[in-house]
Amino acid sequence: MVLPLRGKVEKAQAYWVFVTPAVFLYLLVFGFPIVLSVILSLSNYNGGKMFGGDPWTIVGFQQYQKLVGDPNFWFALKNNVYIVLVSVFGQIPLGFILAYLIYRKIVRWGEGWQAILYVPAIISVIVLGIMWKLVFASNGLLADIMNHTYANAFMAGLNHIIQSMNGGFNITDDVVKQIIGLSNKDNLQAFSDPVSEIKDLIVTGGYSLQNIDSFKIDMTNLLSPKWSPDFMNKADLSMIPIMFVTLWCWTGMYLILFHANMQKIDDQIIEAARIDGASEMQVMWNIIVPNLSGVIANAAILCIAGSLNTFALIWAMTAGGPMNVTQVLAIYMYQNAFIGAPNFPLANAISMAIVAFSFVLIGVTLYIERKYGGKDA
Amino acid sequence: MIIQRTAGVVGKAIAYLTMLLFSVMTVYPVIWLLINSFKSTPEYMADKIGLPKEWIVANYAGAWKLGSFDMAIINSIIYTGFAAAGTILLSVLAGFAFAKISSKATKFIYGSFVLGILLSITSLMVPLYLEVSQLDKVIGDLLLSFGWLKDARDFHFFYNNRIGMILIYIGAGLPISVYLCTEYVKSIPDSLVEAARIDGAGYFQIFWRIILPMATPIATTVAVLTVPNIWNEFALVNIIVSDNDLKSLPLGILRFSGTMTTDYGKQFAALTIGLMPMLLFYIAFRKRITAGVSGGAVKG
Repeated sequence: MVLPLRGKVEKAQAYWVFVTPAVFLYLLVFGFPIVLSVILSLSNYNGGKMFGGDPWTIVGFQQYQKLVGDPNFWFALKNNVYIVLVSVFGQIPLGFILAYLIYRKIVRWGEGWQAILYVPAIISVIVLGIMWKLVFASNGLLADIMNHTYANAFMAGLNHIIQSMNGGFNITDDVVKQIIGLSNKDNLQAFSDPVSEIKDLIVTGGYSLQNIDSFKIDMTNLLSPKWSPDFMNKADLSMIPIMFVTLWCWTGMYLILFHANMQKIDDQIIEAARIDGASEMQVMWNIIVPNLSGVIANAAILCIAGSLNTFALIWAMTAGGPMNVTQVLAIYMYQNAFIGAPNFPLANAISMAIVAFSFVLIGVTLYIERKYGGKDA
Repeated sequence: MIIQRTAGVVGKAIAYLTMLLFSVMTVYPVIWLLINSFKSTPEYMADKIGLPKEWIVANYAGAWKLGSFDMAIINSIIYTGFAAAGTILLSVLAGFAFAKISSKATKFIYGSFVLGILLSITSLMVPLYLEVSQLDKVIGDLLLSFGWLKDARDFHFFYNNRIGMILIYIGAGLPISVYLCTEYVKSIPDSLVEAARIDGAGYFQIFWRIILPMATPIATTVAVLTVPNIWNEFALVNIIVSDNDLKSLPLGILRFSGTMTTDYGKQFAALTIGLMPMLLFYIAFRKRITAGVSGGAVKG
């Protein structure tokens, strides 16, 4: 009888020795911060020693009330919703369709495509964010490509006009009007009477058939339409690059996830359906989607949790700017805690709001899956 | 038949074009980055698309030195290596207990870990920061009262301290890895553990001799998932570490890019330096990484 008892004690000891380190660090990083956040969001604590420093007390739901009436909070939430939407209704369907193309061998080299498309998911979003910032900048790659395209189109139009002069170089009002027709309004704003002024410019410029190339280049530089949406500095456009990069970054990961789970489906069902005349679209919608509804729901949950907590990518691209137009909840929380005069109770209230929104959206996802999802997920 | 076949060909063409479009969008920006990292700033301003006329390798030396990326990479290796190893060890330990040692506490504790998968550490960064800065004060006062410390004001166990940062990273990675390890250890037959018990082996011996060696596949999975997560982590290290000598690579890149806004050549070189370690890691372990991701272990 002594042995089993000793065994029991040893068993309990071993259990707690094995579990305690993990539990301790879990409490350190998740458990206590949540409790602390709830308490501080209801308090007037604002820095200093929590124990034995300046006294602070629980003052109630003031911070939450403040948040409800705070336009910045709702604005940040709106931007988060954009990111949630582009994630759930962008990354997931796109990843799913690409996975299906590979799974059904509609495209070959499936392994290769997957290997390439996963790359962004493994690289630091700080690096990628700065990279895309340089692409979308007002003097960045995208503007450069667009301006080259416009310049080439302008040049082609110019060539056409020169050809129609039948070997001469006779600048009439009509020719100038044609050239102006290739340009756009913004470039002509500098002129009060474009036709006569540009005609003067050409005539006094000393252009002829001998230096026709410099004529073309000068005209293109002067009049070719310029493309400058300047994404990063315009309030109504600045979320577009962020949403694009969000989509760009994670679609490959969902592709991998869906493709791996598609391979678990019994392909005899699919072959039978195809023989019965079902199209690939029907197979995807009626067989694959229901079979993977559980995986899709899991993907959506991770997507939602990730999107509501998006921080580093936006921090690298815009840091919430310009003038806070790309503000999201995590950045608003960060600003309240670490920039300028700290407001820790408010920051903690935002923290709790993020957690609450995540759980509500996750609950909705699970409800939808349970109600409409396939059975054997 | 003909209509169907034409539709099939058109469909295939669209499918290939889609794949190609997405692949080009993925690869081209990276190649663009690489090409421009060899250009001088004036050349970049004049031509953002073409190849450099003169390949300026000095951009790398300059960026490396100005950004002290040697230090940043060493720090990243320290954070990632220790935190990944710690995560694996603690997860397999806990997983062994949850899966093979029956206890009434398992349901609650293990359930809490699984719930933690849904919690993002970013949303808790403010309370976490406040918690560890208070702990720093408490630990400092404690050491002072023991007489092990002369002055507690500059003492930090978490803030600006590699050990604290590593512990936080281990904690942050635990929910998903404890889940993976527990489910894996469950698949190891009970009879192996029972036989060893009958032979008189203690639980520690069983852990070292049976469970840990058998858990190598799941440990690898946890490793390939955890390493990029920690290496790329930004939100936490950004608030916990302010000392330049302790900064990780993402922090170093961001700081460099903020101070070198007009030196495009070096900026691109720094981004390439930031991109390379994980790209090489991916090339070396691609199969394992994608297998791990598709195991449902995603956190994005």
